[in-house]
Amino acid sequence: MHKRQLEELAEIFGKDNTLSQPEDLMSYSYDASHAEALPEVVVFATTTEQISALMRFAYREHIPVTPRGQGSGLSGGSVPIEKGIVLVLDKMQKVIDFDPENRLITVETGITTADIDPIVAGANLFYPPDPGSVAFSTIGGNIAENAGGLRGLKYGVTKDYVKMLKVVLPKGDIVSIGSKCVKHVAGFNIEPIFVGSEGLLGIITEVTLALLPIPEHRESALAVFNTLDDAARSVAAIIAAGVTPSTMEFMDNTTINAIQNFKDCNLPRDAEAVLLIETDGEKGSAVSEMVKIKEAVSNNRVRNFSMAKNTEERDLLFEGRRVALNALANVKPNLILEDATVVRSKLPEMVKGIVDISSRYGLQVGIFGHAGDGNLHPTFLINKNDSDEMARTEKAVKELFQLAIDLEGTISGEHGIGLEKKPFLEDQIGAAGIAMLRDIKRTFDPENLLNPGKMFDFTPFKENLF
Amino acid sequence: MIYQKHIGQAETHLLEAAKEFQKCMQCGKCRSVCPVFKEIGNELYVARGKNKLAEKIVSGDLQVTDRVKDAINECLNCKTCSANCPAGVSPEHVVLRLRWYITSREGLGIFKALIFRQLIWRKWPTTIAAISVGAVQRMLFGIGPKNPVRYLFPLFGFSKRRFFPTLALRTGQSLYPEVVPSKNGQPIKRIGYFTGCAGNLIYTNVVKSVVDILTGYGYEVVIPKDQKCSGTPVLANGDYDGARMLMEHNFNLFRRYKLDAIVVACSSCGLALKKEIKLFIDDSEELRQFCDKVYDINEFIEQEIEFEENELGRLDYQVTYHDPCHLVRGQDISAEPRDILKRIPGVTFKEMKDAAVCCGSAGSYCLTHYDTSIKINNHKVKNIREAGVDYVATACPTCVMHMQDNLLQHGSLEKAKFVVEILADSLRAAGTIE
Repeated sequence: MHKRQLEELAEIFGKDNTLSQPEDLMSYSYDASHAEALPEVVVFATTTEQISALMRFAYREHIPVTPRGQGSGLSGGSVPIEKGIVLVLDKMQKVIDFDPENRLITVETGITTADIDPIVAGANLFYPPDPGSVAFSTIGGNIAENAGGLRGLKYGVTKDYVKMLKVVLPKGDIVSIGSKCVKHVAGFNIEPIFVGSEGLLGIITEVTLALLPIPEHRESALAVFNTLDDAARSVAAIIAAGVTPSTMEFMDNTTINAIQNFKDCNLPRDAEAVLLIETDGEKGSAVSEMVKIKEAVSNNRVRNFSMAKNTEERDLLFEGRRVALNALANVKPNLILEDATVVRSKLPEMVKGIVDISSRYGLQVGIFGHAGDGNLHPTFLINKNDSDEMARTEKAVKELFQLAIDLEGTISGEHGIGLEKKPFLEDQIGAAGIAMLRDIKRTFDPENLLNPGKMFDFTPFKENLF
Repeated sequence: MIYQKHIGQAETHLLEAAKEFQKCMQCGKCRSVCPVFKEIGNELYVARGKNKLAEKIVSGDLQVTDRVKDAINECLNCKTCSANCPAGVSPEHVVLRLRWYITSREGLGIFKALIFRQLIWRKWPTTIAAISVGAVQRMLFGIGPKNPVRYLFPLFGFSKRRFFPTLALRTGQSLYPEVVPSKNGQPIKRIGYFTGCAGNLIYTNVVKSVVDILTGYGYEVVIPKDQKCSGTPVLANGDYDGARMLMEHNFNLFRRYKLDAIVVACSSCGLALKKEIKLFIDDSEELRQFCDKVYDINEFIEQEIEFEENELGRLDYQVTYHDPCHLVRGQDISAEPRDILKRIPGVTFKEMKDAAVCCGSAGSYCLTHYDTSIKINNHKVKNIREAGVDYVATACPTCVMHMQDNLLQHGSLEKAKFVVEILADSLRAAGTIE
């Protein structure tokens, strides 16, 4: 990058917010995935206007821009693979408007998602999506990746809560899309296209989110099973009983033992699987839902079913799930966390398939995740320095994705495609699907300067499939 | 010795650092807890960034530049990242290893060599310097905010706004004979007391409190005259060899006295003697026995001493407690000091918000990085004031110094004090101890 270009960026963002020393470039060359690439300059934005000016500059000078929140993404979406400018948004943290009457909050893109609840709790409201990174990911990043979380089954995911967005389009135009109204049909229903767009179509700078009243009561229970099948069947039986738990978390034997080795959470080491179940809502309904759940699991050979009597007991039940990833990380030097997802009725087949794949490749795998919505996290426990094991893991992961596709599931439930799953997207959505994504990208960003190289390979001209 | 470099040892430090940073999953959770990162906001200064930096130094992709040194010096060693790390990484050890690595390659520099290898190692120059400063401080009748003497502070690398505690005219160790007999019949146990430099040279009332409580309850207290710095400031400032010399010295010294236990009233010295010493001295049965004998004073009192109700005098204090990093995360001690405070009649204990968050002092960090350390401490002062108390009790001299400084900067009347001092006040009020 020329000195003149760096000076122009410093004019837009200020000298202190324009970094180009090698140490700074290194610090913004990675996220929580395995990808890594050095940018040429890092800029920190504080206003939408700065970002608009940046994109005009980028289009004039033909320099790629990669937006970034806290860099906690698991698919490589914020890694500047084509070099250029990294645009850091984590300083845009203002709360613009809290509107309890309409159960809405408008915030800047860089606010940490977990910081929303303390602001709205006073009005007895909460923001339901709670990805594992809720305390260290930005709301803008959550929207760009359409983040999920533990409560997906009952409360849905990020896309269900996005009402309005302010977006800087790749060429620098600023648009406000969506509406605060419950009903709104003026123009295309366009805001969902930015949810899960992984920073390819525009830079989200402000967002209006829907909030829900905090449930009055919560019931929590732990169900222990002797076989994986009993656990999987119980999940189906609970749903069939007409109950929608707010949380239904699954952990397998490897995970249970890793947890017990890490910290004693009172989990039975010989159990093949446990389910952590929570219902919430009005007291009467939460309690009666839990009664139905107890019945459903009892009919499916549950070994033990224990309910938390108070908050301390509840915290103890959930402690195991809370430390699950920590515990698995302690088994081997490294791990690969996947998020292949199926519909919940296919869960037993998925679990069997994962166990089969890992044993065929001689790999250790811990399975835990959100059983209620079919989103499992098979976690391969590996040693990065063991090249043979790494090669086997690569093959196993590839088979895992194919398994999810064969079961009519998806290769990614909540982490996104980015760089990590880019080679596998076509297997799921086909060549025509990829061509359509490219056409949409071209409409927004004809020069392919905003977060290039992610999700699919760009071609500058319209494709002729036929 | 001063200019000697250890290139072979340097490689060892990198290998040890690699063992830690290789575990990092780069999830970014440390961003939500690191006190330094919260103030600076640049990824380079958070644990994940420092792990990456270490990785790039090992792979040869990054040279040790001034900016690299700046980044690795921006660490409080507060252990908040390692306490919260999902992958079980101890990033503070990566930072320490990098500091040791750099010193091994580049030498200590004349300034640090003078302090660590001469003043601290020889002890008497430090003592004389401290007493002289104490005398000057008294002649100036306290250095108020407008005192022109403040313009001299920057010469010594301190901010001119800084409030310092008054240094002792008589060292804590010289207040008592080396062996202080039990004042309550046959001694129950023979206890070694490691005063730490701050107890010896600044907070001598802590030494009085510890000795009076222990001897009053029937313990014989041994204060080895030849004890030196625990090594904490030395190891934190990159001098591995200097810290090892100190650790070896104290290890060999205390073993000679045939002690049942060793108590420490400074959280960082306690951590050094209990755990960090294992990074410097080869593992052996003797070392393990030594480490197992080391107790923080709060831990020791809670485990050993039963107070009768009439032995504790009434103190009408409102008190909160600040968890020193090297006690709560370093030694897993948090309930004991609170229990001691709650037991004292008249004391109203009020838990403050974020009691276990670092106060930003971090030993010499608050001398070398005053502005950042005050920004970090501002959150602490806010929480102390919101708690509505007379005293913030704690168990670490640099926490006391830093919180007291910033409370004064804010014109607040709350005082920072050691838990053991408050306990001694109560016991004295009832006439239980002298």
